[in-house]
Amino acid sequence: MSFRTLLAARIALAALALPTIGHVAAHAAEQKQAQTSPLVSTEWLEANLSSPKLRIVEVSVEPAVYERGHIPNAQNVLWHTDLVETVSRDIAGPDKFAALIRRLGIDRDTTVILYGDNNNWFAAWGAWVFAQYGLVDNVKLLDGGRKKWEAEKRQLNTRSPDVAASAFPVTPVSTGQRARLADVLAVARKERDETILDIRSPDEFSGKLIAPAGVQELAIRAGHIPGSVNVPWAKAVNPDGTLKSVPELKKLYADVGIDGSKPVITSCRIGERSSHSWFVLSRVLGYPVRNYDGSWTEYGNAVGVPVVNLAGTVWSGK
Amino acid sequence: MPLRVASAALIGASILAAALNLSGDPGSGRLALSLTFGALFGFVLQRSRFCFFCLWRDLIDRRDPRGALGILAALAVGTVGYAVVLGAWLPDPSGVRLPPDAHIGPVGPILALAGAAFGAGMAISGSCIGAHLYRLGEGSPTAPFALVGTALGFVLGFLTWNTLYLASISEAPVIWLPQHLGYAGSLVLTLAVLAALAVPLLRWLPPADAAPSRRVAPLLAVFVERWPTWLGGLAVGALGTLAYLRVGPLGVTAEIGGRARQAAAGLDLLPTRLEGLDGFRGCATAIRDAILTPNGVFIAGLVAASLAAALAAGEFRPALPTRGQAVRGLVGGLLLGWGAMTGLGCSVGTLLSGIMAGAASGWVFGAAMFAGLTATLLAGRRLKLLA
Repeated sequence: MSFRTLLAARIALAALALPTIGHVAAHAAEQKQAQTSPLVSTEWLEANLSSPKLRIVEVSVEPAVYERGHIPNAQNVLWHTDLVETVSRDIAGPDKFAALIRRLGIDRDTTVILYGDNNNWFAAWGAWVFAQYGLVDNVKLLDGGRKKWEAEKRQLNTRSPDVAASAFPVTPVSTGQRARLADVLAVARKERDETILDIRSPDEFSGKLIAPAGVQELAIRAGHIPGSVNVPWAKAVNPDGTLKSVPELKKLYADVGIDGSKPVITSCRIGERSSHSWFVLSRVLGYPVRNYDGSWTEYGNAVGVPVVNLAGTVWSGK
Repeated sequence: MPLRVASAALIGASILAAALNLSGDPGSGRLALSLTFGALFGFVLQRSRFCFFCLWRDLIDRRDPRGALGILAALAVGTVGYAVVLGAWLPDPSGVRLPPDAHIGPVGPILALAGAAFGAGMAISGSCIGAHLYRLGEGSPTAPFALVGTALGFVLGFLTWNTLYLASISEAPVIWLPQHLGYAGSLVLTLAVLAALAVPLLRWLPPADAAPSRRVAPLLAVFVERWPTWLGGLAVGALGTLAYLRVGPLGVTAEIGGRARQAAAGLDLLPTRLEGLDGFRGCATAIRDAILTPNGVFIAGLVAASLAAALAAGEFRPALPTRGQAVRGLVGGLLLGWGAMTGLGCSVGTLLSGIMAGAASGWVFGAAMFAGLTATLLAGRRLKLLA
């Protein structure tokens, strides 16, 4: 073989190797992104489905979507029984939460990927409940949720995975992620300089509607908490269900004066949709934010609190 | 090719085209599947004359148990199929959770009353709701009146619901057999009861050599000759399982009930709240905001496929209704609708899909339905009102 042929072969080999090196670098970057970002992509999740330190958890609003086909190895959590107390209105208490987390096989160093239907509403709410028990940085959302996974026709199955239970300890609940009535009242009365982000529809915010159509849990008064700004939750989402880019999100909230310089309280009707915006602000943008889960069904029913009712709707009592 | 066969082929092709078209729309996979399952269900019902009223009349008038054995075959196959699916979805049935969507309803005196009223409606109108739907495809003159009566009966059911709910249904237990017996125990018990019902019926069968078998060309056997009911039963059991796996339990009243509720609510006929209703399992009648719903296209597929099957077999015999047929259809339909609303389903949704899922409500509804059917039929004949 002549020297020239050898050289040509070497060049050809190098050319072949180049894309591989590029691919490896991109793969490493993606791995790093998966470690630090609060979101994982559908591609990443599909490539890591069998990773032993990964737990995939579906929290959907619609019952039975999990059973008819879920992301392989995903476990099911029911938002209205597993993550709440079923008699009093509260998130699941320490014992109940620890029992759930053990059943799901989650330890403090497990990466948890939450996803669900309806643009991850209740998956984000799950992340908020998890965060109150110290499961924060290792809990991520599948960007685009079930909607994007299905739209991309990725694999689904109907089997429940067998997961070894963990020894997650009973942990006291931390208060750092949650705002109470007293907190929002302090803001409403201008005793504290915080912003309330109300993520309901403009018609609910203005008081034209007390609650969306078809909802039974009403408030007695219409309107919003003084000191609130209105950015409906869906504005943070692209048509394919993924979250908008960080610069777009920063601009969206900066336009109503939320830039991370002072604390934010997210609020909606029952505190679930607002968890979506809580996730965006706290985990994606890194702003100081708490979620007010009492929301309008607590505030709008409270006696003697200040209310802004732009539409002037009067309660329909006779 | 005769015109009726060509029309049947055209309808079959249209159903397929509609399903294909639906499956292309994002998020409409369930609709396409529902249409397909509905069409298969309608085809099977028409071909095997899978009709609760007919089998009962065959049994008590002619001591011919073949139809009844067909229903038992459907229940046995569906029970096994459901157990396979449920075991995968809910590995531990002993907790407080019920399997998703399965038709497991509250068991109490109101359920028995609903079943009895439904049975009476069958005796008067000559069919249950599922059979009226496939008979619509055969051109039955009674079926349209019975279905209108059913919708009105649903409205009547909504009007009495709050009273019955507060008086009794709210305290009625929701009994799911696997919760108490495990899957194996529930399966063994259900199959044992079905066998106990089947064994005495088997003795009534005509001797095997009484009906000499004759050879029929395969296409004629499928599309023209009447299927034996046991074959329809096996198909219904399999369809019930597959539909539950992919879309939801078989049921034929959700759409009728939902649309009746929507119309009545629009006319301000209904109470503003139907207490607890939407929290129960069964043929849900929650008001729809979509034009196409899974149960709606299921019903459309059922009727269209039954029409095609009847045309192909030469069993499409439309007739002008007599006054008696119209009255019996409306009155019977009213009872069918009230019973199906109050019982959260009919002979398909509550009886078939309920028993397959291991629901005690399916058995109670079924027993009351046959009791109501027998009593009404005998009383009606004595009064010379029913044939």
